[in-house]
Amino acid sequence: MDRNEFDRFYEFSDWVAKDKFVLSYSGYVSEDILYAVGQTLRQRLAGHMDNPAKIKNVFSIFVELMQNLIRYADEGPQPEDEEGEKPSFGIVMISDNGNGGMDMMAGNYVSPEEAASLSQRVNEISDLDADELRSLYKTKLRQPTEVQSKGGSIGLIEIARRASTPPTCATYDAEDGLKFFMIKVTV
Amino acid sequence: MEIFRLEATSRTPEVELNPEQGTLTMIGESYPEDIRTYYEPITVALEQFAATQPSDLKITIKLTYFNSGSARALMELLDAIDEAAQDKFNAELNWYCDPDDDITQEFVEDIAADLSAVKLQILDLDPNDLV
Repeated sequence: MDRNEFDRFYEFSDWVAKDKFVLSYSGYVSEDILYAVGQTLRQRLAGHMDNPAKIKNVFSIFVELMQNLIRYADEGPQPEDEEGEKPSFGIVMISDNGNGGMDMMAGNYVSPEEAASLSQRVNEISDLDADELRSLYKTKLRQPTEVQSKGGSIGLIEIARRASTPPTCATYDAEDGLKFFMIKVTV
Repeated sequence: MEIFRLEATSRTPEVELNPEQGTLTMIGESYPEDIRTYYEPITVALEQFAATQPSDLKITIKLTYFNSGSARALMELLDAIDEAAQDKFNAELNWYCDPDDDITQEFVEDIAADLSAVKLQILDLDPNDLV
């Protein structure tokens, strides 16, 4: 490792190793990772928040964000496994926003079509008020899972209902014609 | 029919269906890896129970946390009980909800609105009293 790599690594740790970063994870995502990181998150939240309702909302949103990554984040630069499938890859970051709340972000690589569809879905949900979200949640629960489009509609509505402000998203150009999709949720 | 029982795991609740007492209890958290695989045996056990021509079913739900996938599975389970109970047996459901969790309260209220045979009562869950 030459000096430059230490510099880069230090810059990275300078970013993420601060206390206001309650938790960050990047890499392959699986149900095992969800559970392990989720337990760590619960312990970390106990030291950062004293409102049990908010802690529950942060944990719930974390689970839905992770499950969306596990199901849909199978594009990107990661190599294929023995069966020719790409393992899901993503990044999540939860930080103390200094106003008694948490900012939660998740990102993953998607095709341009999927990026457009996800952005549209997040924007549509962001326009809804609490009653509209409640009624949409119920409608979607009653739809057979196979009718729902990719992207975990129910999960996204759950996220929006538990957030304190409407979720926002952004899409950046990535390599190989892919997009990097990011969602931000505040609790 | 024998007692149907699932022990609690770190991600799934303890479930017990006691046909003799006519009780179903679910206690703990629910965010299983595979929702279908987890909830399917419960549905099957309830079908077997309904086939024994019971007179009563008392359901107790004390879930401190469940994810959106579990919300759907719970709704489907209760729909199935509601259908089986129609003019066949009395079904009562005591659902203990975290009083600070508005979203879960609303979900349970919305479920209640769709049940016709099952009498649902929403009660306060004390997170320290989960036994």
